[in-house]
Amino acid sequence: MSEIISSDNLRKLAAEWIEQGVRVAAPQHAGGRVLYLPLKNSADLLLDAFIHPANSAKEFLFPKSETLYAYRVEGQDVKLVEAPGTETPQVLLGVRPCDAAAFPILDHIFNWDCADELYNRRRRNTTIVVLACSAHDANCFCTSVGLGPASERGADVLLVPLTNDTFEVRSVTEKGRSLFAGKTQTDNVAAMAAAGPEPRFAPDAVRKFSAANFEHPIWGEHALACVGCGACAHTCPTCHCFDIVDEHGERVRNWDSCQFSLFTLHASGHNPRPDQGSRQRQRILHKFSIYPDKFGEILCTGCGNCTRNCPAGLGVLPLLIAIEHEEHLPA
Amino acid sequence: MSEVFEPRIVAFVCNWCTYLGADLAGTTRLEYPANVRIVRLPCSGRIDFNLLIKAFEIGADAVLVSGCHPGDCHYNTGNYHARRRWMLFRPLLEVLGFDMRRLHFAWISAAESRKFQQTVKQVVEETRQLGPYQYPAPPTDSYGAGREPHKNHFDAAAAQQRAREMLEAKEVDVVIGYGSSGPVFIRRPEDVDQITCEETGLNLAAYLGRKEVRAMGRAAILTKPMDAGALVVLERESQIESGAVKTIPIGEPGKGDFSDLDALLALPPAERMAWWAGEFARCTRCYACRQVCPMCYCERCIADKNRPVVIDTSPTPVGNFAWHVTRAFHLAGRCVGCGACNHACPVGIDLRLLNMAVHRAVAEQFDFNVGADPKAESPIGCWAPADHEEFIR
Ligand code: SF4
Ligand code: SF4
Ligand code: SF4
Ligand code: SF4
Repeated sequence: MSEIISSDNLRKLAAEWIEQGVRVAAPQHAGGRVLYLPLKNSADLLLDAFIHPANSAKEFLFPKSETLYAYRVEGQDVKLVEAPGTETPQVLLGVRPCDAAAFPILDHIFNWDCADELYNRRRRNTTIVVLACSAHDANCFCTSVGLGPASERGADVLLVPLTNDTFEVRSVTEKGRSLFAGKTQTDNVAAMAAAGPEPRFAPDAVRKFSAANFEHPIWGEHALACVGCGACAHTCPTCHCFDIVDEHGERVRNWDSCQFSLFTLHASGHNPRPDQGSRQRQRILHKFSIYPDKFGEILCTGCGNCTRNCPAGLGVLPLLIAIEHEEHLPA
Repeated sequence: MSEVFEPRIVAFVCNWCTYLGADLAGTTRLEYPANVRIVRLPCSGRIDFNLLIKAFEIGADAVLVSGCHPGDCHYNTGNYHARRRWMLFRPLLEVLGFDMRRLHFAWISAAESRKFQQTVKQVVEETRQLGPYQYPAPPTDSYGAGREPHKNHFDAAAAQQRAREMLEAKEVDVVIGYGSSGPVFIRRPEDVDQITCEETGLNLAAYLGRKEVRAMGRAAILTKPMDAGALVVLERESQIESGAVKTIPIGEPGKGDFSDLDALLALPPAERMAWWAGEFARCTRCYACRQVCPMCYCERCIADKNRPVVIDTSPTPVGNFAWHVTRAFHLAGRCVGCGACNHACPVGIDLRLLNMAVHRAVAEQFDFNVGADPKAESPIGCWAPADHEEFIR
């Protein structure tokens, strides 16, 4: 037996949530592309005919700019003002599996050496409804990093498309179960997840190569076309580096990127990563070697956003394929 | 409503004329409203547009900019330079929908204490009518239309052929072209087939300044119709030698089309401002727009200066507004219209519209063609006594 819901009822449900004051974020058309955005009108909800939104869903747990606290100078004193934070319940609806799989990673990051209260509060109030993929493009490689088009990692609920505009509702957590309780119908169909992309490379080969070849011409060669922007990191569900600045009496946390030359620039003027090659190497090393060594999982979910959004057509995939090729060359 | 609105006016004035005029107003007991905070700079030519934006950011309701009358500048031509700059800056603010009634320009000499008094009085009264300046909150129900991602196809065979000839004849050491996944740097004639028939909107001139690319030697780049203009600007700005970079033209020239800009300008200013607020709300400050721009070759961009911070680095409504004003205005008389910024923006902000507004002002007001003659002086680096405007009091 399985639980199912029609797309009409799903929209009605989304409208109910919005009505109740829940912040719903979902894929929609905007900016000439598909983006995860706060949903105002359930009719705008996209449930098919897109591969992956141009942004990632991380911004609803880890916003691009967030005030940590504010300060006021009063006479001789500096007074701290706590950031209000938010307890607004949130449903991330129609999240792709490769975005959802990044949430357990962010949970580690924001609770590793200290517990990030602002993140955790938002996280506690968030339910993640994943929409399994029915198609992939040339940039997708979830299957190369142990995930797939119907992966449940990070999901509270998984929706798997059936024919005739219905979805099988698979509750993964209690939170997910209660969100859909009484909203589904029982049926005896079982949805078949679509086939994922063919594996493109072996992460172990990448890990071995990058750990052993800190100095290798491949980094510089591949970085030639890289313009050093933040498009890859900012649209990546797992990239989480931030910068902390003081602006207008507030201490603010903003997204950063290891591909900016400023990222490692010392106050002295020295830059330990002086060229784009060393920055590209850092991105691969962190994702496929440093982070796995520390936390036991790859810091990449294969969503392909970094390639999709790269003005120079790079992102990690072409480099990963080239690395694997290099690793398998006879010595 | 308990408190009466008292507008806050920031006046950026030059040291030699307007400041002395204000001083004279004080010493001769000409009363003027206390709403104005005066910031003195050496010369009106030193009043950077970022200061104006900053003033609004931190609470000004209106800004007054004032210097010596034309011909009276104590550094000879500072005010002429300033005038040019404001002539191009205003069209940018206009397309952004900024309320132009909050930005005032004047020439006030050291003797014109009464003009200073009258100007301040007027500005305060007008601003009082307008109410407090507020940056519009991003709309909650629309996120803009943006631009479709772009891909063009062209005939690769001819480009490959030309690249092969150039490399074989040792005319150049490297040909930069479009490959199957991004730009390719071809150094050997036998590799020219890596040049494919798809371009994704990059202007390859952006790579010319890179240390690694310079080290390769003499370069040729594939240029779409608007791209080659970048080489003219780079030569004008002493970034490359005349004729040092060869081009392999691809694609058919389109027609200059300003209809999107005109459609935007047809909206009332407040609606325009709100529309941009929605667009900028998506900006994450990834700086892809800057990084792909051949004209944004600064070793350290003003947006990256943090001692002190000139432009808020936070992707907030205020920070993003300041960033987009800066980027567009730094390209005044320099943008060649290749559209690389537009195609690079991952969230589809139509940045081109800002550049087009300034571009049109440069062409119409100064009859300047950005990509034509490398010897022609940059319109923002020079001035003419005949520069004509009607907005300076
Ligand atoms: S590195 Fe690229 S493919 Fe991997 S999770 Fe990030 S954006 Fe997706
Ligand atoms: S890989 Fe692409 S998106 Fe990432 S920094 Fe380089 S040019 Fe930008
Ligand atoms: S925005 Fe201005 S300062 Fe920044 S790189 Fe471009 S031209 Fe230089
Ligand atoms: S490319 Fe787009 S998102 Fe990135 S900084 Fe420029 S406008 Fe903002």
